[in-house]
Amino acid sequence: MKKIKIIQYINNSNVSRFRTIIQIAFFVLFVYGGYFFINIGQNLPTFACPYNPGSSGTCYLISAQHNLHITWEQLVSFRGLGFITGLGSFVLFFIIFNKAWCGYACPLGTIQDWITRLRKLTLTRFSHYDEVSFKRLSKVKYVFLVLLILIPLGMSNSFFGLPEISDDMGAPFCQICPGRTILPLFSGDTSQLFIDFTTKTTMVMSSLGILFMALFFVGSFFKKRFFCFFCPMSALQYLFSKIGVLRLVKDGSKCTRCGNCSRVCDVGITAIADDITSKNIVKDDCMMCFKCVEACPEKGALDVKVFNFKIFSSTEEGFFKRYGQGDSLTSKKKKDD
Amino acid sequence: MINATNQDRYNRLKKTSTIHYNMEVNQVLSEIMDDFPDKISGMEYFYNKFKPLEIGESLYPKDKKLIASMCIHVPIEIIHALDATAVRICSGAYSADTAGSDFLPAKTCPMVKSTLGALYLDMLPGNAIPDLVINPTTCDQKKKMGEMGDEIDKEFYVLEVPPSKDSEEARQYWQRTIKKLVKKLEKCTGNRLTRGKLKKSIKTIAQAQSEYRRFMRLRKEAPVIFGKDALLIANAYFFDDITCWTQNLAILNDELEERIENNLMVIKSRTPRILLTGSPSIFPNMRTPILIEKLGGIVVYEEFCSSSRMLSDTVAVDEWFLYDMVPAIADRYLKPSTCPNFTPNDDRIRKILLAMDDYKVDGVVYQTFTGCQLYDMEARKIGKALEEAGYPVLNVELDYNPKDSGQLTTRLEAFLESIKDNKRNT
Repeated sequence: MKKIKIIQYINNSNVSRFRTIIQIAFFVLFVYGGYFFINIGQNLPTFACPYNPGSSGTCYLISAQHNLHITWEQLVSFRGLGFITGLGSFVLFFIIFNKAWCGYACPLGTIQDWITRLRKLTLTRFSHYDEVSFKRLSKVKYVFLVLLILIPLGMSNSFFGLPEISDDMGAPFCQICPGRTILPLFSGDTSQLFIDFTTKTTMVMSSLGILFMALFFVGSFFKKRFFCFFCPMSALQYLFSKIGVLRLVKDGSKCTRCGNCSRVCDVGITAIADDITSKNIVKDDCMMCFKCVEACPEKGALDVKVFNFKIFSSTEEGFFKRYGQGDSLTSKKKKDD
Repeated sequence: MINATNQDRYNRLKKTSTIHYNMEVNQVLSEIMDDFPDKISGMEYFYNKFKPLEIGESLYPKDKKLIASMCIHVPIEIIHALDATAVRICSGAYSADTAGSDFLPAKTCPMVKSTLGALYLDMLPGNAIPDLVINPTTCDQKKKMGEMGDEIDKEFYVLEVPPSKDSEEARQYWQRTIKKLVKKLEKCTGNRLTRGKLKKSIKTIAQAQSEYRRFMRLRKEAPVIFGKDALLIANAYFFDDITCWTQNLAILNDELEERIENNLMVIKSRTPRILLTGSPSIFPNMRTPILIEKLGGIVVYEEFCSSSRMLSDTVAVDEWFLYDMVPAIADRYLKPSTCPNFTPNDDRIRKILLAMDDYKVDGVVYQTFTGCQLYDMEARKIGKALEEAGYPVLNVELDYNPKDSGQLTTRLEAFLESIKDNKRNT
């Protein structure tokens, strides 16, 4: 009976409020943790940016780019182990929270959510895009992912007899990543805001970096989680999302396809409402914020699970607590069961 | 134009139709109230909502505009937020059917004829005189009925419903339709839609829905209330003040909970449990549910646009501003709708199959009104899906004339008997 009460309490709770708090905690950890001598490691599945002096860890993308800056011979020798262990620890970190790393932990995601709050304060409406073309455009994240693997390899190796790529392209994604330019600002470090005129390559890449930072601010003001659509970390995570410990599961037979879930979805996933056959409903843009579960009034249509253990489920009562503010579903006389 | 002789004829028609209507109402009410011994005191409020019509003043607030709507696609959240009264006027009265026949072909669905007739003769619940009738383009007959506005001297507003609901295009189209409706209603009522009022009205209706869902959950648990009563409750929602309705349903729900605790059921637990679907039963056309329950069955779930389909689906808003609330309301009236005017309409099959499980249904009675093409055409697909899942289905066709119940009684009786036999043998 006590267990039922606890389950009921959780299912009635406001996860978004909980998420806001967790996000702040993770933001402090990843942006200022370094000042408290915290070091979580070099293969974090989130934007803990080492360019930021206060960072308490290193984003896996930078490690991967360094690990892959080796020749083919080195890659299959012991040096290649570096890449494998790096990827392994990335995956181990990742599968615990699955894509909730994006929704709950990522400092860049948190900043975008804050920008959204700012937009709401200014009473500005979000903008609409043609969903089909925007979805197509968001496949760019896979292009970024492939490039950030191929370019470091191309710096040490020659592809098809072509000359090796200049070392100025070192850690190419970091050069254009808005995390590099923005996160140090929170430690008061503005040294990343520059255009490097050393060579043509550095000039182009550092200009792109500044441009992407501007796009990050403007884009996320008008569209929720704008940058996430183009994030190669999200693409890389999605490759391993199926083996995640934390899961978002749908029971299609209970779904009325009312579309509440996709309505409140910050990244506009429509499959969550329309797909009634898949059980695992995590899509590549999903950040596991679980707003969909909050907005679902059908009991057990959407479940958040750790392994096979339900930790948060969609319920009628929870829905009306959150959206109808009335708690008339629980009557005054509660049955003892 | 109505000249003197026509006016005279109109007055006579109105008088006779009202007398017939009142006879019809008294007849059905006495069947509903007196033929079933077990009285639930919480039902009294809802029974009182269906008292016979007295010609005279409107029972609605006079300082508010009255917006009449049909079907389940008219977003009443918006009407309430604009300080207008919303009344759904889909009619079940045989006495209004004849008046409607003057304007429409003989083979038209009786619900459409009756609704037009009731509008023409001003025989709407509570003597409502609508300032505007919102007519969604759902089925062809409702659509064409809307063209009679000039003849019956009522203003109709065409609400364009897309023929399909799955595509993004349909959704955009519908959202624009609703935005246009907001403009029209703002003009009609003279009020402006504001953020606070719309939010409040969304919450008010959410509370009504939450109470209705609680009611449905209780019906799942045990045969604690008859389907005829459940239909009346949903019917009262057509024209009742929503807050009053919610409060009284809450009182009824508390009583039902108490009854479940004391094991006070309206009928034996082995009674055949029936799901009723198809063309909607609207008071006073309650023949099918009353017959089923008189013949020893119980209706446990109605998949009707006059009941569960109207009250189950909810609005979820992400940003509580007009720019997101209005589209959110639009989505709620399109996406989960299982109205057969949409194609494809597999959601209706899935909804019924889920209800079969949830409400432990033994058999389905599929009701079609003579002339109601859409429900007739879907009967086959739904029947097939149900038979594949192992459930018996009975298709019945009827119109509003209460006199020809003989064949219907025989068929329902045989159907219920066969279910009872099956239950005994298992």
